[in-house]
Amino acid sequence: MKKKLVSALLVSTMAVSAFVGCGAAADDTAATETADATEEQAEASTEDAIANLIAATEGTVNIDLWCSETEEYQTVMKKLCDDFAAQYPDVDFNITLGAVSEADMKDRVLEDVEAAADVFIFPDDQLEALVKAGALNEVAAQYTYDMNETDTPATVEAAQYDGKQYGYPFTASNGYFLYYDKNQLSDEDVASWEALTAKAEELGKEVGCETANGWYLYGFFKGAGCSLTENEDQSNNCDWNNETGLAAAESLQSIASSKAYKSYGNDDLLANLNDGKVVAYVSGTWNVNAFSEAYGDGYAATKLPTFKVNGEDKQMASYSGYKFVGVNAYAENTGWSMLLAEYLTNATSQEAVYEATGEGPSNTEALAKASSPALDALAAQSEFAELQRVGGNYWSPAESLGKNILDGKVSQQVLDDAVAGITQPVE
Amino acid sequence: MKKTWKIIGRHLFLALLVFIWLIPIFWLVVTTFSTQKGINTNHFFPEHWTLSNYNWLFFHPDAAGNFPAWFKNSMIIGTASCIISTCFVIMTAYAFSFIDFKGRKQLMSFSLILGMFPGVLSMIAMYFILKMLGLTDSVVGLIILYSGASGLGYLILKGFFDTIPTSLHEAAKLEGASEATIFTKIVVPLSKPMIVYTVINSFLNPWMDFVLVRLMIKSKDPQDWTMALGLFNLLQRALVNQYFTYFCCGGLMIAVPISALFIIMQKFYVEGVTGGAVKG
Amino acid sequence: MKKIANYFKDFGYAVAHGDIWVKLSLLIMGAGYFGRKQIARGILMTLLQVGVISSIFGVFMPYLSKLNTLGTVQREEVFDILTMKKTVNDYDNSLLILLFGIIGVLVIVAFIALYIGNIKAVYRIQKMKEDGEHINSFLDDIASFKNERFHITLLTLPSIGVILINVIPILFMICIAFTNYDENHQPPTYLFTWIGIKNFVNLFTTSQTITFGYAFVRVLAWTLIWAVVATATTFLGGILLAQFINHEDTHFKGMWRSLFVITIGIPQFVTLLLISKMFGDSGIVNTFCSNVGITEFFRNIGLLNPGDSFIPFLSKPGWVHVNIILVNIWIGIPYQMLVATGILMNIPSDQIESAKIDGANKFQIFWKITMPYVLFITGPSLIQSVIQNINNFNVIYLLTYNYKTTNMAMANSHANEADLLITWLFRLTNEYSNFKMASAIGIVTFIICSALSLLTFSRMIGGDKEGVYR
Repeated sequence: MKKKLVSALLVSTMAVSAFVGCGAAADDTAATETADATEEQAEASTEDAIANLIAATEGTVNIDLWCSETEEYQTVMKKLCDDFAAQYPDVDFNITLGAVSEADMKDRVLEDVEAAADVFIFPDDQLEALVKAGALNEVAAQYTYDMNETDTPATVEAAQYDGKQYGYPFTASNGYFLYYDKNQLSDEDVASWEALTAKAEELGKEVGCETANGWYLYGFFKGAGCSLTENEDQSNNCDWNNETGLAAAESLQSIASSKAYKSYGNDDLLANLNDGKVVAYVSGTWNVNAFSEAYGDGYAATKLPTFKVNGEDKQMASYSGYKFVGVNAYAENTGWSMLLAEYLTNATSQEAVYEATGEGPSNTEALAKASSPALDALAAQSEFAELQRVGGNYWSPAESLGKNILDGKVSQQVLDDAVAGITQPVE
Repeated sequence: MKKTWKIIGRHLFLALLVFIWLIPIFWLVVTTFSTQKGINTNHFFPEHWTLSNYNWLFFHPDAAGNFPAWFKNSMIIGTASCIISTCFVIMTAYAFSFIDFKGRKQLMSFSLILGMFPGVLSMIAMYFILKMLGLTDSVVGLIILYSGASGLGYLILKGFFDTIPTSLHEAAKLEGASEATIFTKIVVPLSKPMIVYTVINSFLNPWMDFVLVRLMIKSKDPQDWTMALGLFNLLQRALVNQYFTYFCCGGLMIAVPISALFIIMQKFYVEGVTGGAVKG
Repeated sequence: MKKIANYFKDFGYAVAHGDIWVKLSLLIMGAGYFGRKQIARGILMTLLQVGVISSIFGVFMPYLSKLNTLGTVQREEVFDILTMKKTVNDYDNSLLILLFGIIGVLVIVAFIALYIGNIKAVYRIQKMKEDGEHINSFLDDIASFKNERFHITLLTLPSIGVILINVIPILFMICIAFTNYDENHQPPTYLFTWIGIKNFVNLFTTSQTITFGYAFVRVLAWTLIWAVVATATTFLGGILLAQFINHEDTHFKGMWRSLFVITIGIPQFVTLLLISKMFGDSGIVNTFCSNVGITEFFRNIGLLNPGDSFIPFLSKPGWVHVNIILVNIWIGIPYQMLVATGILMNIPSDQIESAKIDGANKFQIFWKITMPYVLFITGPSLIQSVIQNINNFNVIYLLTYNYKTTNMAMANSHANEADLLITWLFRLTNEYSNFKMASAIGIVTFIICSALSLLTFSRMIGGDKEGVYR
């Protein structure tokens, strides 16, 4: 465990940004003074800060922690919280665990930030909305480890917004890849969508990807060479209505027109998987148990297939997904909440979470010990995976575009309308 | 002979209708016995049968499901809010029907207009009002929420009161009875079926509502939830494949007492619904 | 207008002609009662005055003073790295300013009304004293709440409940429609402020990027069609079913009725979610249909495109509309049957008898006697159920929460073809934090509902006793 306070540079930038970040007229002299002061103390051990905190703590420390409602999560988190409390025997902790669906975390937190949990675990796509609502506490300093040294750079960067660190990297396996049954499909079959659908038709089975969902749909367009980026004002830039975009949409349309190609939501996917109909599907680690049970010894996973655009094979891209631990900006005990967040994301905790849930750690040390077909597939896909940075106006039009592709209604007009919706200005 | 066939045909037709009406409920029932915990969209009947879901439901509360606690909470909220609502409705209806006070008509028009706002929108404000009173996350807060505005539902009961002959009211007054006496001794006993109707409706409210309660209850401990909130929560993406049978069991278990209530109270309910409308 | 003028004229008159006690009441509200030896009432009034005024200045003033801007100081925080403590400035919360501001305004208005009423009452007592009439003692006052002022006793608590749960939230919502409260302006961290009628302008605008106008017209049309059709079908179906069960040839009437009633007992969200799963694109009904060949049949008669492998019960426009209405019939008929059973029992049998003697057949009796009678009785409540259906959140939301639209213009304003106004605004607030547009839509919905109810306004609030009073 790293005992040194984070480098002077980091501290001083944080101190400055703590002022600037809030849109206040940053008092230059004050900021410089703070920076000077911290520089002198930069070598002081973190124990001082924690000792200060322990000394200043009176009575019981109440911390609410919201995380996924699955049994595995609740159990492992309970244990980690107990371990955390045991680390500081002088302090009386009351850590309460709450079960909140990760997909809804942002909605639940934003209903009333002041009443929400002090520490919560959320997927990376919610970072922006949470920061925009001012719900996340900035990670101004770290006390027990330095994420820049312990975690993969991509995950650390993903938890930043506008150059500031808002989340503690927790898992790095929230992206998607292809599960398949290797007893029925060969390596060549899963290499491209064209081969995959052809083979599935032959077998009379199903394969697919939830196309009517912007999160997955992005992979096709990005893979074909189109771009989707976000501006500073949270509006989007999107060129999917150019020639490449049209070609990609038409290609996807012809893939999807195969009888074997399905666009299931998660419920339908699992039901049909259990019935033995689905032999390959684009999904993520959250379904790892379902797929490994359904395929038995045929269980396998790999990077996403390629698909043909203008006669050329293009690798389907994807969003890389992460989960972060966030501290509520309105937390009652900011200091303790930050320490708990750090504890939950350190190497040993991430290992414990990996063992409990099968999710890939963001910590390099823990990641080295983790290995499974799903994580290997994610690693293989990672070079084609992009960090998700997209404005809120993307999702509804993209969902609708996906639905149009599935229905075989692709046209320049549809793409133009979709792009108009995706890029509509934000007031 | 033709007549017999007609009667048989009539009953067959009814049986067919009942069959259509009961299919989803039948599916609910058989699903509760399924060993597969997720949704089975491809088969009507479960592949393997078990009773363990009920055991789970009643005796093994876990991080997401706590049926006994939900039942208790909904029972408390339902009972309390139905007592308060019933009182409020009777009081309002009596005032509007029997007493001719200044501003009565304006007040009635105003109350009618109030009922037309989409409630979904005012939830945020309701939440902050409860927060201001320090009543979020509490049973009391929910009782206030479910029964507070119940006075607006006076129309049907007022219609019923309007059918009580004014002569009765007048005669009692001549004998020196105060309005309060007339209210408690004469009018309330006369309107039993209406009261049963109001009681059933306001009792069901907390059992059925999941939109309002989701915002009002911030606690993430299943022990603090109501039935509707708890069951609805089980349908979250991450849970539904583990808890669908639990959901079905829970749904069925609350359906049994409520259906029984309806079947027993049918007569009162019918009189209640129509009591306000049938005049003279 | 004249009424309002008189209201204040009376007040002026009372002040001008009142004696010293009345004038003193302008300052201390209980004074007029002390002067007439109504000590208890005087104390109560004065206490009330002190309480209200101190609450206005103590609690509401800070909010009221910021109501015009909805706050100017944004939240700023400074985290001390060495002590791990956070200091936060004294920031404004627009939402609380608006909410408490509204409550404060209501309190002030109520207080002014009380104040004026008080002066008038005090003046009335002065007159009574001058005329030598009996002045009520405190006990008399209390007794009057059981008698001539019984309506106050009855209505106080329900009114407080309604104001708290209904009036204040509605005022709040109306105000939100004139602010820029959306995902970029969320309290407590960020402020929102008044922007006038811009949201309403957007609501009726259609361009390639702002499609609210386009979506609004379509959503509104479907909302109205849905409300009318849903009400009509369940109503008619309920009567027919009740009639059918009530028929003399039907045996076990109670059993049949109970079987239908069972469906009421299961919470709607349970049955509706089950049904939405059953009718899903790969749900059990679709599996059944393709096994039996119905899917094939639909393809052959052109209801489905040749490439469709399933019946899009709840996933394509047209299909979804029809099916929502069918499901609603399933949900609604048992209720309506109960209602209709009650009404049918009360049909004057002599009319039917005489019609039979005149040789009318069953259909003629149904359409000429039964229906008019039932319509006459349930007319007002039908309008009410149309309004309820306009705001029928459950059926639409639970059946179509997975619905995906292919209409780009709809999608761009987060609406879809199956949306009612109410589900649309729910999604806008819940998923997109777009409170400003949701409030604007809510107000328009409200105006439509009240316009509808105006049609039957007098009948609904009027009762048989109107004539007795006037």
